[in-house]
Amino acid sequence: MIQKLKILPPTIRDKKRYIAFELIFHGEIGREDVISMVLDASLYLFGANGAGKFDLWIVKLWPCRTGEDNTENVNEHKMKGILRCRREEVDSVRAVLPTITKFRGKNVVFHTLGISGTIKSATKNFIKL
Amino acid sequence: MQKNYSSRINFDKSKFFDLHMHGDKELINEAERLGYAGIALTSYFEDYNNDFFNEFEEIEQSTNLILKKCIEISCKNPEELKKKVQKSRKKVDIVMVRGGDLKVNRAACEDRRVDVLSQPYRSRRDTGLNHVLARKAAENNVAIEINLKFFLKTNLRYRYQVISQYRHIMDLQRKFEFPIIITSNSNSKYDLRTPQDIIALSKCFGMTIEESYGAISTTPENIIEINDNRSIFVIDGVKTI
Repeated sequence: MIQKLKILPPTIRDKKRYIAFELIFHGEIGREDVISMVLDASLYLFGANGAGKFDLWIVKLWPCRTGEDNTENVNEHKMKGILRCRREEVDSVRAVLPTITKFRGKNVVFHTLGISGTIKSATKNFIKL
Repeated sequence: MQKNYSSRINFDKSKFFDLHMHGDKELINEAERLGYAGIALTSYFEDYNNDFFNEFEEIEQSTNLILKKCIEISCKNPEELKKKVQKSRKKVDIVMVRGGDLKVNRAACEDRRVDVLSQPYRSRRDTGLNHVLARKAAENNVAIEINLKFFLKTNLRYRYQVISQYRHIMDLQRKFEFPIIITSNSNSKYDLRTPQDIIALSKCFGMTIEESYGAISTTPENIIEINDNRSIFVIDGVKTI
């Protein structure tokens, strides 16, 4: 039987914030790619010392359709997602996202949509599927 | 608990400006979606002709954004700069000089007709500014530009240099109080960032939230306002009614 730790009581847990973001990429992209992009960028900007405090995690990702007139940019893919981090480090994590410019030699851009305290309200207010 | 996490401070979110953008209609629409209120469409001095003017008017009719014409002058020596500024001052709203050379930096800081000195740190190790230039820039109301594309396009290995250059500029700015603006210098929609992201990123350059908000909101707004009234000002403090 796998031993499991008992879950921490809420008062001792780290406080979290959820950042809703969207990304536009020229080509196909998966969840692992997004994780590696965000982690690499945070390591480059803040180093191991800073990135260790973030407690980063990609919670969810949704593929979206690109705008109404996607006739010319067939390869362009748009995704929306939710990123979890510690409450004290929200500003730093937010600073990491705009520094991501390239992935596998192709252009990529991240925009934050908003910050929320729960996954539910982040999806409802900012993702708006 | 730390005091400043993003959602704390609620500034007026409807007044963000970007004074350096080379683009077409698609880019302007994207900027509008990201929450900008005003944009300066920039053309290089060599490319400024009737085509740009026509395109500008076409775009202006189709959007709700505040659109301004901006010209970017690149020159090798101060004499050339003076000629080019003289030529273009009355044609456009905003005159921007691309720096990098020390003499050009100095000439641009001393010229009242110049609005923005773009990238004084370009292809240099230091900032290209010192206390003399900073004082001149403050006297003549020349804004210094912090260029985000320059930061983002620099190789990851050398980004630390850019960050330290921006930090030194901010140190000078606090002492001499010349205007400072943050621009995107975007060619495509992959270069654009939302204003809130820019505020978060500029914390890495040692700017406080108030400073960075001023750099993308109130200072550009002042520049636009001054230039709207430039024709009626005779000299400092005197205007025709």
